[in-house]
Amino acid sequence: MDTLLSGQLLFAALVSGSLYALVALGLNLVYGTLRLLNIAHGDLVMIGAYTAFGAFSLFHLPPVISVFLAAAVCAGLGWAVYEGLFRRLLANPTLAKRVEANSLILFYGISVILQNVVAMTFTASSRGYQYLDTVITWGGVSMTGNRLLTLIVASAVCFGTLLFLRHTLFGWSLRAVIERREAAQVVGVNLNRVQLITICAGFAAAGVAGTLVSMTEQITPFMGFPFTIVAFVVIIVGGLGNIGAGVLAGFCLGLVETYGIALTSPGYRSILIYGLFVAVLLIRPEGVFSKAVRS
Amino acid sequence: MKGLILGLVCVAGAAAVPMLGNPYYTGVIFQLAMWIALAQSWSMLSATTGYLSLGHAVFYGIGAYVCVLLTGSVPFAVTLIAGALAAGIFAAAIGLPVLRVRGPYFVILTYGLSELVRHVVMRIESALGSFGRMIFIVPPIEVLMWCMLGLATLACLGAWAIRHSTFGAGLSAIREDEVAAETVGVPVTRLKLLAFVASAIIPGAVGGLALLRTSYFEPGQAFDPVISFTIVTMALVGGTETVRGPILGAVALTLLSELLWSNLPQLYMVVLGSTLIGFILFVPRGVSGLVDQIAGRR
Amino acid sequence: MALLDVKNVTKQFGGLKALSDVSMTVEAGEIFGLMGANGAGKTTLFSVIAGHVPPTAGEVHFDGRRITGASPSRICRAGLCRTFQIVRPFGGLTVAENVRVAALYGAGGRQDRAAVARAVDDALEAVGLADRREILASGLTLSGQKRLEIARALATGARLVMLDEVMAGLNPTEIAAMLETLADLRNRRGLTFVIVEHVIGALMTLSDRILVLDHGERIAFGTPDEIGRDAKVAEVYFG
Ligand SMILES: Nc1ncnc2c1ncn2[C@@H]1O[C@H](COP(=O)(O)OP(=O)(O)OP(=O)(O)O)[C@@H](O)[C@H]1O
Ligand SMILES: [Mg+2]
Repeated sequence: MDTLLSGQLLFAALVSGSLYALVALGLNLVYGTLRLLNIAHGDLVMIGAYTAFGAFSLFHLPPVISVFLAAAVCAGLGWAVYEGLFRRLLANPTLAKRVEANSLILFYGISVILQNVVAMTFTASSRGYQYLDTVITWGGVSMTGNRLLTLIVASAVCFGTLLFLRHTLFGWSLRAVIERREAAQVVGVNLNRVQLITICAGFAAAGVAGTLVSMTEQITPFMGFPFTIVAFVVIIVGGLGNIGAGVLAGFCLGLVETYGIALTSPGYRSILIYGLFVAVLLIRPEGVFSKAVRS
Repeated sequence: MKGLILGLVCVAGAAAVPMLGNPYYTGVIFQLAMWIALAQSWSMLSATTGYLSLGHAVFYGIGAYVCVLLTGSVPFAVTLIAGALAAGIFAAAIGLPVLRVRGPYFVILTYGLSELVRHVVMRIESALGSFGRMIFIVPPIEVLMWCMLGLATLACLGAWAIRHSTFGAGLSAIREDEVAAETVGVPVTRLKLLAFVASAIIPGAVGGLALLRTSYFEPGQAFDPVISFTIVTMALVGGTETVRGPILGAVALTLLSELLWSNLPQLYMVVLGSTLIGFILFVPRGVSGLVDQIAGRR
Repeated sequence: MALLDVKNVTKQFGGLKALSDVSMTVEAGEIFGLMGANGAGKTTLFSVIAGHVPPTAGEVHFDGRRITGASPSRICRAGLCRTFQIVRPFGGLTVAENVRVAALYGAGGRQDRAAVARAVDDALEAVGLADRREILASGLTLSGQKRLEIARALATGARLVMLDEVMAGLNPTEIAAMLETLADLRNRRGLTFVIVEHVIGALMTLSDRILVLDHGERIAFGTPDEIGRDAKVAEVYFG
């Protein structure tokens, strides 16, 4: 019981919650605007992680700097994917008719390529580096600097994005696209531009998350998929395309997971996550935190 | 009719492969038949109704699990039938709530369900203190291959029969517009459930056979989501509009994997990924559509 | 006994009462008109009767049996079929395949191939789509798709067919032809129709009796003549 009430556990929950929120934020942005399920999202986290790892081991760049590099690399991939593949897919009526199936396969293809290109470049063995891993104790809670940094950066990016969406013109047009695609186009939103920028931003968010992960965990070319799944759980719980609720759901998942495991055992982690995922999809596919809008 | 004859000739030819005396070729035929059976079964639900399942590994895994639990106590044919039945019963049990969920939600729900079952089985197995189960007495590879060939044939005939039946007409109406289908008398819920069960049964038996082939059960592998992805990929690369689509897709990708996988697995995966992207963008009707085009031009 | 008996049906959508306490009876073999301004609740009434939307209160009986709560497919197989104001063709199937599904699964439950083929031909003939049978339904014009809605409903073998604004978008010649077709189907095959139409002239010519809805309430009921003279109807329609 003592451990359950400790600040230690709460801190751990918040760190993973903020990371989940950030990974899911990117996925949700892409789903919201493009209506496509990006099952390669976790692989962008992996790309971000390898960018940071590469920058650290080759040029001794600390993650606080390489995080920008990782974001840029992922945003560039977003640009390439959108311009190279999805504009073509969405513009072709026969392809667009079965856009769900088609985009799923496209993203699967992208995922497979990213994983194996990285595996061929860096080998498939796990990698890691040390950065800010000294333990600091603060108000009775011991933490490593890199975890604290993860919490701060991930939260800042999430809440910064939410503020941006609420208070800028671009944010408004993006939300318009998410909520009313056709109507948004009619009132003069440049759909193409919004989609391009959003997919870049969504991919960049994954890159940032990857950098954060690389500071605290071993990385492998195949580390991405669990992140994809967690991100899916989060945005399903929050409601697909519902950005704010997704961030909230990310933190909630961190709490549920950390405390759930503390109460049972780590062996139940996956069952917990997938159980939640399936239950939400069966009972409230529109999301736990969204107002019911099903007809 | 021409297709049927061609199909039977292929089956007969494949069944005679063990006479070449090279077990490698027998193994390749086993793989080919396995993927054809799986992709074709998948198409019974997903190509007809448009409900895209990304969780067919669960049926395969259940079949394998039931088979490994029964092996030793009953004859091997019975274990396969039990595996098929278990998969069908599982589909029937979860079908109603699952098939209420549509579009992209259905895709990820089936995936999530399959993973949930995988982790539950892994948990059960580790609670029982088992970290993989070996099977010591298995039928020879030829027998397994013939059984698999039988399943593939059954799946193709089944898929063909569905497409040409009243049932199939109802399913394609469901794919096009569920509400309108219901309005003109199609019992949508019942047909969807039937299609779901139909597409689960053969994968159950396939899982059992594949297990006997490797003679080793490990839940992480038996329920591997890569199986689900591969099935969808093969069916879509082959083309979902015809019965021969999934066959062509399974053949193309199995052969590609035989050529590249053992030597250059990572390169194989990159080629696979690129092939997929290329097909989706440039050959949307799959290999099957491509064949039509070439045949039409002549 | 009436073929269709709607008893005190109320439908509430959140705060909006789309139907309040509506009753009506339709006799076998009649053409029953349903009128009302936009949003009066006509389509909602169809949806309640055909089983697409459960009523908040009230019951529907068809052919002496209570059908409230039954699924649309059961109601269809019992012999009652509706069309959609906003058309819902099976876009990826051909026109003939669209109708064939209805013939296979509808009220007749026809299993014999020849009977199915005949039902398809008859229905296509009746609505004038016989020459377009092999094209994809998505390739039809809107007026073509409206005809397809009728053809599908007819092919189910339903005894009672409910048509929701199927003449919207047709030109006067086409409307005249359609009126003739419907009257003919009633006379020759003994079908019963409930028809919603904004083309008031058509409705007046065709209907035996007309019910007028306004904001979900029944405000008038009678023969076309009586409706034409009704003060409340005049007020709703002509201000
Ligand atoms: N599913 C629904 N949810 C909420 N409100 C609905 C729903 N369906 C209909 N309504 C409302 O119920 C009222 C009646 O609608 P209905 O479509 O039945 O009218 P109508 O008489 O068919 O009109 P029209 O002539 O425009 O077709 C309208 O105010 C409509 O907005
Ligand atoms: Mg209406």
